[in-house]
Parts: sequence; structure tokens; C-alpha cells
Amino acid sequence: MIELFKLFRNKRMFMLMFGFILFIVVIGFSLSDRKELSMPEKFIGDSVGFVQQWFYVPAASIAGFFEDIGKLRTIYEENEYLRLTAAAYARDKIGYNFLQEENERLQKELNFTEQQKKINKYNYRIAHVIAIDNNPYSKTLEINLGSLNGIKQDMAVTTIDGIIGIVSQVRPNTATVMPITELDDKSPTSNAIAATILGKSDSFGMVTSYDDETERLIMTRIGENDKMIVDDLVVTSGSDSVYPRGLVIGTVETKEVGNFGLTYTASIKMAANLNQLKEVFVVEVSASEDAGK
Amino acid sequence: MSMMSTNRLILLLFLLFVIEGSVMPWIIPADYAGKIIPHFSFVFVLYAALYSGRHRALMFGLGIGLIQDIVYYGHLLGVHTFMMGLIGYIAGLLFDRRRSTLLTCLSVIGFACIAYDSAVYFIYSLFRLTEESYAFALLDHILPSLFLQLAFALVIYVPVRKLYEQDAKLNQDQDEE
Repeated sequence: MIELFKLFRNKRMFMLMFGFILFIVVIGFSLSDRKELSMPEKFIGDSVGFVQQWFYVPAASIAGFFEDIGKLRTIYEENEYLRLTAAAYARDKIGYNFLQEENERLQKELNFTEQQKKINKYNYRIAHVIAIDNNPYSKTLEINLGSLNGIKQDMAVTTIDGIIGIVSQVRPNTATVMPITELDDKSPTSNAIAATILGKSDSFGMVTSYDDETERLIMTRIGENDKMIVDDLVVTSGSDSVYPRGLVIGTVETKEVGNFGLTYTASIKMAANLNQLKEVFVVEVSASEDAGK
Repeated sequence: MSMMSTNRLILLLFLLFVIEGSVMPWIIPADYAGKIIPHFSFVFVLYAALYSGRHRALMFGLGIGLIQDIVYYGHLLGVHTFMMGLIGYIAGLLFDRRRSTLLTCLSVIGFACIAYDSAVYFIYSLFRLTEESYAFALLDHILPSLFLQLAFALVIYVPVRKLYEQDAKLNQDQDEE
């Protein structure tokens, strides 16, 4: 015991122990479910983010320039393909307008409340990525919109291809996005995504985790009689309170019997690519805004 | 005068941190993103440990680690702060009074980077935030990133050593006055 005290008389040892205890306290504090960041965190995050965007945007445009040169040869084919898609879009748009009108009329007749009408109306806010942390255990992105622009915690973030994550921390001018590759069914803070299949609205499953080693999302709790097959498009179902309806997640790659033999488990190839992102869209649900008030 | 030069070092450290997150993702090929992870600011902290003393390495490590923790706040706060400070300090404790050659310098940086990445891995796996096995983590990103760190250390060896030695000299002159 006396030797232990002698050990602590050493200033260096004492500082190390003190630092270690402080470290454990900070980790414990950060593991808890935090709703808002503290003042110094917001200040440091915003100031660093302000500098980061001077670097990210030029780097992205220079890299994009070289990519464009590489793609010069395929541009003709791409153009042709886009023309076809535009024609298909124009055709579908007419049908969509009719359906939209019909839908609104029926909603009126059925006396939908204002909130029910708005629940599937989203506002896509474009945001620029300003930094990427590739820490393999907690990958995060920084975007240049914050609480001053109306961004709130737990808003879904997508690209043109599909969903990439969720806003995890908000500062006045910047926000941190946690990608869906951080989903983990064992972690206390992660939310599973309720998912369904496009065109088969009876299908249901929960996207609960991401396998780093195979780089696939894992979808569990799929019913025994589910008609989901390989290559089906998985979209969010909107029945959890976090992710809005109809965002593309990916395609089913395999489907097999789960751990307990009662339900099925599928592995999903993500539609969006998380590397070298320039712009992302933050999905603002208008109904949640009213609920907030 | 010495204050000036310290400010310059801090500015450089911050610049490296910004480059790490905002420029490197565009330079590293997309296939290797998440496998090769730059820790340039940590390499700079280790140079501080080798050529400028352990206390400065501790300060630099704590400072830049704290910024990294806050800006990229994912699951945990404080991991990078503690580990960069501690490893920078230990490296300084063992090597700061010696005239390190290029080879010792690179091997210290190499071992420190492995120690740092491994420590971060073990903290995350302790809190069940990663399910990877250590062998997988080692082959998947710890060793590949090590090569990037060593290449970077080699590139900046001459200018950074000059910078730190200039700074040390200025400090000495001031002490004598």
C-alpha cells in the first residue's frame, strides 16, 4: 500500500491516472444519448468546418475535372440514355399528375387532417459535403447546413442514388451525418430502418446492421411468406418515426433463413456510394415540422 | 520571435488536419477509401515528440485530437484526444533527447501509428461499437494506412525537421538571454 502511495508521489504517474479517469468520464458522457451539443463543441465544429469547405470544394472540382476527361468517350452513350429517360419521364409525368389530383380529391373526401396530408410531402435541401472522416469504426461526413438553415437531428440524408445516412449532430452552420454503414443492432444509439420492397408493399423487414467484412447491409425479421426475391429494390417504408417513406436503400442480394429459423434474413447491396460525395440532400418532412411546433 | 515560430507550427498542424479530411478523400482512390486512412496530423505530432520535446508533443496531440473528436463526433468523444496525447508524450519521453536519424525516426513513427490505430480499435471494440476481429482490422486498414503514413513522414522529413530545429534554437536563445 505504501508503495502505491510512492507511485502516486510521482507527478507523471499521477497525471496519467488523472488523465485516464477524465478519459473514461468523457467516453461515458459521450456514449449517452445526447440531444444537443454544448457551446464549445458547436463553436469549434463550426469554425473548423468554415475552413474545411475552402479545401473540400476546390479539391472536389479538380478531381471532378479529371474524372470528366476520363469520361469523354462515354459521353455520347450517356446522352442517348438520358434522352430515353427524359422521354419516359415526360410520359410518366402525365400519368402522375392525374393520380396526384385523384389522390388529393380522395383525401379531401375522406376528411384527412392537415397533418395526415403532409406526412408524405418532403422537402429536399441540397447540402455540400465539406469533410469526410474515414475512421473505420465511426465513419462520419460533415455538411455545410446547420440549425440556422433548419436542419434538425435525425433527418434522413440521401444522394440521387439512395439513402446514405442520418443527421446525427447539428451545429449552427454545419452538421454531422452518420452513414447507414454505422447501423448496428447491438449499439444502444442506432436506429434500425423499417424497409419494404418497391411494388410489393406487403413485404417488410428491418435493416438493422452493416457487415464491414462483406460490405452489405443486413435486413432481418422478414416474414416467412414474404414474396421478396433477389434483385428486388428495397425502400424505406416510413413506419418507423425516423426515416421518411420511399427512399431507396439498395437491392436484395441474398435471402436466407435467419438465426432462429422463424424469419428470413437478407443481405442488401447499398444503392448509394459513400465515397467521394459532393452534394447530398437532407430530407425535410413537413409534418414533423408542425409536430415540433 | 519564438512565439511566432510556434504559431507557425500550430498553423501547419491545423492545415494538415484540414487536408486529411477535405483533400485526401479526393486523392485516395475510391476503392481504397476506408482502407487507407491518413493520420497526417498525428505524424506531425510525432515529429514534435522527436525534435521538439515531449511537452510540446503532448500539447499538440491533445489539441488536434480534441478537434478531431469534436468535428467528427460519431460515437465517442475523447478517444483521439487521449491516444494522440499519450502516444506523443511516450514517444517524446523515449526519444526526445537523442539526435534521431531518418531510420529511427521512421521506425518510431511506424510503431506509434500501429499503436495508435490498435488502441483506437480496442477502445471501440471494448464498447461494442465494432464487430470486426483484430486480425481483420489489422489487414483491412491498419497496415495499409501505415504505408501512407510512412510515405508522408518521409516526404516531410527534411522541411519539418528544419522547422522544429529552428524553433528549438530560437527557444534556446531566448532562455540564455
